[in-house]
Amino acid sequence: MVTLTIDGKTIEVEEGTTILEAALKNGIRIPNLCYDRRLKPYGACRLCVVEVEGQPRLFASCSSPVTAGMAVKTDTPKLRKARQTVLELMLVHHPLDCPLCDKAGECDLQDFAYDYGKPEARFIRHRKKAPPDVRGPLVELTANRCILCGKCVRLCDEHQGRGALGFIGRGFPTVVQPAFGEILECDYCGQCIDACPTGALLSKPYKFKARPWFLEEKDTICPFCGCGCTLTLGIRDGEILRSRGVEGIGQSKGNLCGRGRFGFDYIYSKNRLKTPLIRITPRNSSKLGVKSLELKDKFQSQDSSLNPHPSSFFREASWTEALNYISENLRSISEQHGPSSIGAIGPHRCTNEDNHMLQKFMKNIIGSNNIDSSAAFGYAVVEKAWETAFGQKRHSINLTSPLDKEAILIVESDLTVTHPVFGLNILQAQREGSKIIVADSRETKLTRHSSQQLGIKPGTGIALLNGIMKIIMDQGLFNKETISGIAGFSALQTLLNDYTPEKVCRITGLTEAELTAASETYARAKSRMISLTISASENTKGMDTVLAAANLILLLGDDPGSLQIPAEYSNSFGAYHLLNGSNGLNNSSTGKDIFEMLYNPDSIRALYIMGEDPALNFPDTSSIINKLTSLDFLVVQDIALTETAKLAHVVLPASSWAEKDGTFTNAEGLIQQLQKVIDAAEQPLPDWRILKDLALSMGKDTGIRNIEDITKAITSSFILHPSSFNSQPCFSPINYSPAEKSDTYPMALILRDILQHSGSMSSRSKSLDLVASEAILEINEEDAKKLGIADNSHVKVSSSRTSVYLKARVSDEIPEGAVFVSLHFPHAKINTLTSHSNGMPSITMVKIEAVK
Amino acid sequence: MDIKPDEIIGHIGEVLTERQKKRGILIHAFQKIQHEYNFLPGDALKALSEKLDIPMSDVYSAATFYKQFYFTPRGKKIVRVCTGTACHVRGASKVLNKIKDEFDIEEGETTPDLSMTLETVGCIGCCGLAPVATVNEDIVGEIDMKKIEEIIETIKRS
Repeated sequence: MVTLTIDGKTIEVEEGTTILEAALKNGIRIPNLCYDRRLKPYGACRLCVVEVEGQPRLFASCSSPVTAGMAVKTDTPKLRKARQTVLELMLVHHPLDCPLCDKAGECDLQDFAYDYGKPEARFIRHRKKAPPDVRGPLVELTANRCILCGKCVRLCDEHQGRGALGFIGRGFPTVVQPAFGEILECDYCGQCIDACPTGALLSKPYKFKARPWFLEEKDTICPFCGCGCTLTLGIRDGEILRSRGVEGIGQSKGNLCGRGRFGFDYIYSKNRLKTPLIRITPRNSSKLGVKSLELKDKFQSQDSSLNPHPSSFFREASWTEALNYISENLRSISEQHGPSSIGAIGPHRCTNEDNHMLQKFMKNIIGSNNIDSSAAFGYAVVEKAWETAFGQKRHSINLTSPLDKEAILIVESDLTVTHPVFGLNILQAQREGSKIIVADSRETKLTRHSSQQLGIKPGTGIALLNGIMKIIMDQGLFNKETISGIAGFSALQTLLNDYTPEKVCRITGLTEAELTAASETYARAKSRMISLTISASENTKGMDTVLAAANLILLLGDDPGSLQIPAEYSNSFGAYHLLNGSNGLNNSSTGKDIFEMLYNPDSIRALYIMGEDPALNFPDTSSIINKLTSLDFLVVQDIALTETAKLAHVVLPASSWAEKDGTFTNAEGLIQQLQKVIDAAEQPLPDWRILKDLALSMGKDTGIRNIEDITKAITSSFILHPSSFNSQPCFSPINYSPAEKSDTYPMALILRDILQHSGSMSSRSKSLDLVASEAILEINEEDAKKLGIADNSHVKVSSSRTSVYLKARVSDEIPEGAVFVSLHFPHAKINTLTSHSNGMPSITMVKIEAVK
Repeated sequence: MDIKPDEIIGHIGEVLTERQKKRGILIHAFQKIQHEYNFLPGDALKALSEKLDIPMSDVYSAATFYKQFYFTPRGKKIVRVCTGTACHVRGASKVLNKIKDEFDIEEGETTPDLSMTLETVGCIGCCGLAPVATVNEDIVGEIDMKKIEEIIETIKRS
């Protein structure tokens, strides 16, 4: 520790801290324009100069480390003069177009010029004249306003690992631009917009929307992935106009990805539901004895091709009517077939309160245990595997865990896409010297930043993990002390005997040298971690992959926390633990699970789906749609008319994430408060409120009056700590089983997430759609050549089930023999091709044909 | 084009990280590319960026920093007319204008048939011979109308 004084205040900081950081940590403000805590010191703006006693020259505090006994002054007449001159020189070039600039009012340069400025300018103005670059979809670049502090260039390269911007040219004409002056093509994270101290980089969707001083800012939690970042939303006249990250705030400490920054406008999509809808001529009305409603149709299902009943329409209804209609039908089904013929599916997008209420409604009001969530395809799998392997419940995730690891093994996952802020921590670890070993068949941001890239064939992660374990065993690198106490070791040994390096290399396509090097790097590291993702939108990994990874953790005697598989969406963790978690409320669950409810034609007769879209998001949608259309009664409660809602008998409009209070539990298990930031347009209600009202209309009282009641109920039962359940860890040897080969369907269809979208919800965001608005089939150059497929042409993709048509992108980033496509876009209907096995999506084999 | 960072920078590589090594050979690589193509073709820079795993913006940024690198094709003959003080006094502008008119290009431009690129320089250090111009490596001093014709003839012949 070093002691120094700043402005007479005695301060103790760690050695190596810069003067600026020491001051900031102690609440002393030193003006600066190019400093960012995430970046290396740069010393470009010279505004942070300070006086150091006994030193004749001024010091740039951002790049001068503290020394013992240093006496620093941050505000003296000499410094004011120096800063004034610096600002005067900046304003020689910087145009004074503040009346036209969105940044005005929260612009660092403007504020400092105001603080230090003087009216006259001694220099002849010589300003840059380039027009603003408005070609990109989300970020607008006005090079004239740039003061060349380099924050955006460095942030994009150093922190985001992208490097889309550079200083182009030299001297006065230097501009910040993409290479060759091309259109900015990047991750569209918009981090540069927050970082820019002037109006050179601005958000395009927010352009000319409101002056910052008219905005009311409210913090809430991001509705997309499991990182649970805090969004600072700017609201005017009851409308959210922008979203930004504020330094140091929330789990992400101010970092945001493009989804959080630009994707919030999905709540303003045209197909948001405004009132309850009831299907005219209910499908099985005669069976139910419900009178056919002969009212004028107002609302037609938009996509008739997806609607198996194009002749039946929705009409608008009042809440009272809709709720009575539902309670009448649910009651009659319950009476005729028993309460267990009714099921419910809960969402990963709704709050803990909503999920708790759904659970309570099903158990107490309906009397059925048939309740499950989409976590069954993702997070539940991880939990199950975790329990089996480590004998613990509640997978402990720490999004900053990569930071102190010497080696990180990533198996077929692109965490910079699925969990962007977690991904940033992995990139930071790499910069700080961690060895990142990435096993993936495609090129991703992580493979580009890896220390070692293992270009395995798609879906061969298990074989790879087994191969690594075999090498560790052969070289005796495993932990001999802990291993003896773990059951199943001999079975694992027997299994691994089969996974010789030759065999593993034959399966994965690696060379033995690559495999050995990776195994040794990983096993010899002092601290290690394995990370991957499991979700319905990825089909190369499943429960077996998690178990294989857990085996490796146990073999090396590592802490279970060395396996980091973050829950996929904003409240996947909460939904799972509330709806089917063993220390959640549904402890004695004997009900039907989601697979039973959606894929077994005879399982149930009525389904209540809250905020989930199985007809789009889950594998083998044809079976699901068959099941849903054969139901006696289907209620869908959602914010928009989803593919599933189009099949419903009654659709109820729910409030979006910004229109209600509640809590989300992020991947780390941290319960974070959501804030109601705006009022819902027209009639939507919070999900929990709808269920409470429905219970009342069924003549039963849930005992819930307001949201505080639920929050109280949850916190008393909800798992905040790992449970007392503790069995012994054990090995579960996992065999690699290859995808079935077929001559008719030679290509592997791999599902992947793309950076700009999260589930199908974000596809309703206008801003995000500007970047990616349709499902693109990515195909390797060689395969494309063989099949006669040109870039941007259309292809027919057929599996043994059906065919869909997609646009193809020829790419050298993906392997031969596989095609990649994302699930986010409803119209692509990718899941009509896929199938599922044991609850996990498996790789579907397809045939690709060029469309002539 | 196969670039081997290690060979180019030799033992210095041992004290550098992989990334530093790759960044360090950028200028060398630009020079080699330019030597081969006369300029830096965009595709070559993209290939370089991928091969070295350095963002394209970074590569382009480095290249645009130096005046010696060009991003458009250059002529076979590079004519540099000196416009230093001595040459200016002795009529450099007449020399320049004559060539401009003859080939219908401005300074800094290249003729469409890529036969010549016209540039101006500050001083080439032989003011006694003013007005001076260089054609590739050759220096032409004490330029008069006859010598200009000769220069034009040389360019047209090549």
